[in-house]
Amino acid sequence: MNQAYRADVRPMVRVRGLSKIYERGGEQLKVLSGLDLDLAEGTFEALMGPSGSGKSTLLNIIAGLDRPSAGSVEVKGEDISHLSEGALAAWRSRTLGFIFQSYNLMPVLTALENVELPLLLTSLGGAERRKRAETALRIVGLEQRMGHYPRQLSGGQEQRVAIARAIVNDPAIIVADEPTGDLDRQSADDILTLLEKLASEMNKTILMVTHDPVAAERAKVRHRLDKGALIT
Amino acid sequence: MIPFRYNIRSLLARKATTAATALGIALVVFVLATVLMASAGIDKTLGSSGRADNAVVLRKGSDAELNSNIDAASVGLILAAPGAKLNDKGAPVGVGEVVVVLALEKIGDPGFTNVLLRGVPDDALAFRSGARVTSGRSPKPGSDEALIGKRLQGRFKGFQVGQSFELRKNRQVSVVGIFEDDGSSFESEVWADIDTVRSGLGREGLVSSVRVRLESASKFEAFKGSVESDKNLGFEVMREPEFLEKQASGLRIFVTALGGVLAVFASVGAMIGAMITMYGSIASRQREIGTLRALGFPRWQILLAFMLECALLSVCGGTVGALAATGLRFGSFSMVNFTSWSEMVFTFQPTISVIATSLIAALAMGILGGFLPAIRAARVSPIQAMR
Amino acid sequence: MTFLGLSARNAMRNRFRTTLTVFGVAIAVLAFIMLRTVVWAYNIGVESAAPDRIVTRHKVTFVMWLPKRYIDTVRQEPGVKMATWASWFGGKDPKHEQEFFSTLAVDAETYFDVYNDCAVKPAELAAFKENRRGAIVGDAIAKKMNWKVGDRIALKSQIFPGDWEFAISGIYTATRKSVDRSTFLFHWNYLNEGMPSSTKDKIGWIVTKVSDPARTADMSLAIDRKFDDRDTQTLSQSEGAFNAGFLGMFTAVLKAIDIVSIIIMLIMMLILGNTIAMGARERTQEYGALRAIGFLPRHLAVFVLGESFTIGVLGGIVGLALSYPIVQLGMGRFLEENMGSFFPYFRISGGNALLAVALAVGMSLVAAGIPAWSVTRLRVVDALRRVA
Repeated sequence: MNQAYRADVRPMVRVRGLSKIYERGGEQLKVLSGLDLDLAEGTFEALMGPSGSGKSTLLNIIAGLDRPSAGSVEVKGEDISHLSEGALAAWRSRTLGFIFQSYNLMPVLTALENVELPLLLTSLGGAERRKRAETALRIVGLEQRMGHYPRQLSGGQEQRVAIARAIVNDPAIIVADEPTGDLDRQSADDILTLLEKLASEMNKTILMVTHDPVAAERAKVRHRLDKGALIT
Repeated sequence: MIPFRYNIRSLLARKATTAATALGIALVVFVLATVLMASAGIDKTLGSSGRADNAVVLRKGSDAELNSNIDAASVGLILAAPGAKLNDKGAPVGVGEVVVVLALEKIGDPGFTNVLLRGVPDDALAFRSGARVTSGRSPKPGSDEALIGKRLQGRFKGFQVGQSFELRKNRQVSVVGIFEDDGSSFESEVWADIDTVRSGLGREGLVSSVRVRLESASKFEAFKGSVESDKNLGFEVMREPEFLEKQASGLRIFVTALGGVLAVFASVGAMIGAMITMYGSIASRQREIGTLRALGFPRWQILLAFMLECALLSVCGGTVGALAATGLRFGSFSMVNFTSWSEMVFTFQPTISVIATSLIAALAMGILGGFLPAIRAARVSPIQAMR
Repeated sequence: MTFLGLSARNAMRNRFRTTLTVFGVAIAVLAFIMLRTVVWAYNIGVESAAPDRIVTRHKVTFVMWLPKRYIDTVRQEPGVKMATWASWFGGKDPKHEQEFFSTLAVDAETYFDVYNDCAVKPAELAAFKENRRGAIVGDAIAKKMNWKVGDRIALKSQIFPGDWEFAISGIYTATRKSVDRSTFLFHWNYLNEGMPSSTKDKIGWIVTKVSDPARTADMSLAIDRKFDDRDTQTLSQSEGAFNAGFLGMFTAVLKAIDIVSIIIMLIMMLILGNTIAMGARERTQEYGALRAIGFLPRHLAVFVLGESFTIGVLGGIVGLALSYPIVQLGMGRFLEENMGSFFPYFRISGGNALLAVALAVGMSLVAAGIPAWSVTRLRVVDALRRVA
């Protein structure tokens, strides 16, 4: 344990002894080596480190996209490292919101429809889906742009649509992989402000991978990863 | 110059797409080659077996032997015309034959199929230089015995040596031999004694056609002039190759028309396939092409490279299709000859020109299909390399 | 927004490629319909043959005639309602040697009673019966050759020497699909008068109309039995079987057409499959994102299949829309006018149109099979990392 935890906040994510070994061409590549990490509920935390430090792998494992070679990942008290593929997908759609560096919006769908997309996996009716999507877009401040297609939006606006998509199913955790990587400073600031607001006002646990120190500065907690181990 | 290796590697890098496109072209070429082989087979059977120094005499206006009726008494008159070759005994070389169509039961097919029966004189085999009995023996003159053309052997009830078929009620004709004639249309006929056929089918005193060997091919005009001069008899004289050509034309037009329609549609399809593939490939290689441009390769080289790539893809597919089609050479197909309404059997002929035409068609599909995408590629700006 | 709606929109993403693919599918559908229509039009002679007619001909060869007195024997057979006869004339218009049409010498008195599916105006029929050199022609050939009632026509025969002159008394129209609308019909008596004694009083075939269509098979046998001991035996068949026998000569061709129509569909499938696979590959990262936000592999498969389905349906519709003007109005009209003896009725059947579209749609789903399967196999982490 190289970090002190506040006893009054129950950890939302609890990572213990996490290792990840890739095999490439008969060679074993140790990406993560037995690391522990807790993420507290309602905090905006950043994960930093140079390229190849394993930060994306860690994010993917926490998000249930990848499986650890050893160790456990508990989210809201549930160990996700043993869930089946299908169960993981369902779990992601319930508990997780994703924000990508390149937004990954569907170019053929309007902003509103993009936000609505994850709700297709729920049993909600069309009107209810629409209402929630509109609410999410209002939260990110894009209520004026609902009918626009991604190519009609600026990069910052696109990322805000992606954030709306990430929060539309009211997830407990939001993971963001270099969310400001493709943006100019001003837009990046807006996005980071929005993430802060989501954590503080909506009690979302946010884990952001970034190598931009300015972006990381905005997070409440910063973790530093190097060669597969946490250094702070 | 952009090395050709680059194109080969690019194709190999997209294995599934390359294979799907090449397979599409292979299928088109397969169909095309099959049609061409069938057409070549018809040509071989109907078009190439005549001798230039043979003349065929029919009743004027009848077009085919089946419709033609000539008085048997006129046969001597025709053979006596100038230009007819004489044998060592001083007799003209020629045969008067009667042609009818029999409805017989085809093996493995319900109902009746028409078969051409030729009533021939004793020297019919000798008259045709390529004809010979391959199994069994020649019929005894004047008997109810028949030879079966090689292609009909076993296709109809009774068409085997030692078996027999019915000429009319209570008149069986026994099959004593099988003959072949260099793949000509005679191989799809049954030959029996001319008097047997005449008496059996009420053709007494008639022949359908007279074939005459000429002293040389150049004597044809003189012979024709003499035979056709008597307008009352109303004869028509044709060179044998010309006559056979006329018999084949209906079938050839049919096969060519059908094949042509197919080839056009299928090729358009395959070309679209090639275009889609090339456009896709170019779209995902923008940066790569931009780099080539930035390195200083001129537009026309890029254009050429991409057209080559598509041509290569097509020729590979085309080769596979053409090779597969040549596998059909062991098979045969039967069709009705429109002039005799009787069944004829043809083989698929994979001639050099068939293969060459198929490959050229594949190449053309590749070049045409690759042209527009290649233009797109040539228009990629060097700036694309920086993105 | 629905899953299918999203797939349909994905299909429109690369509009150029989709347009090309739809066009490719449409071409295949068009070719398929064309080929199937050829087969169908060929078979219509069997399908819509008159159920109550029997054709009786020389047993051994159609080249040979029957004695005319056979007609009397047939007419006496119980169950025979009426009977008529005809002979093949093999006529050609010497001025238009290339035009093929059937020419038949028929019994003027009874022919149109038995062939009541050839409709002739009563006044024209009466005029025909009156005029020994009268002729009645089908509306298709009349239009093609520009023949009108009252025209004098001279024909040559491939079988009977000499010049034969006719006057057109009337024009018949068809009330049944299998009727050849380009036949030239004239008095058998006129032909018979011109015959030398050896071929006098011979007829080509006898057509019988029976009272009970269910008994055509028995009746055929009964008629043949009548002539069993005569010089010339006969072969009687229902009109359907007779037509089928004729078509039977072309089975190899029809089979070949069938095979080729399938090959064309296969080519279509390859083109379509290729397009879908390319689209799916380009969208790998996007599919990765979808998986990340909770979509299951089968959802992605639905997207891919739905996209292919959209293209299949579009291609089917466009192909069908092209087929009607090209096959029905262009080719159909040409064939009915020029090859009416083979294709009296060349139209797209509802069944074939439906089959073509169903196949286009069905094969679009099959074509998307491999791409759909491969998107379900995507590893999310790899997919997200891949830059398309």
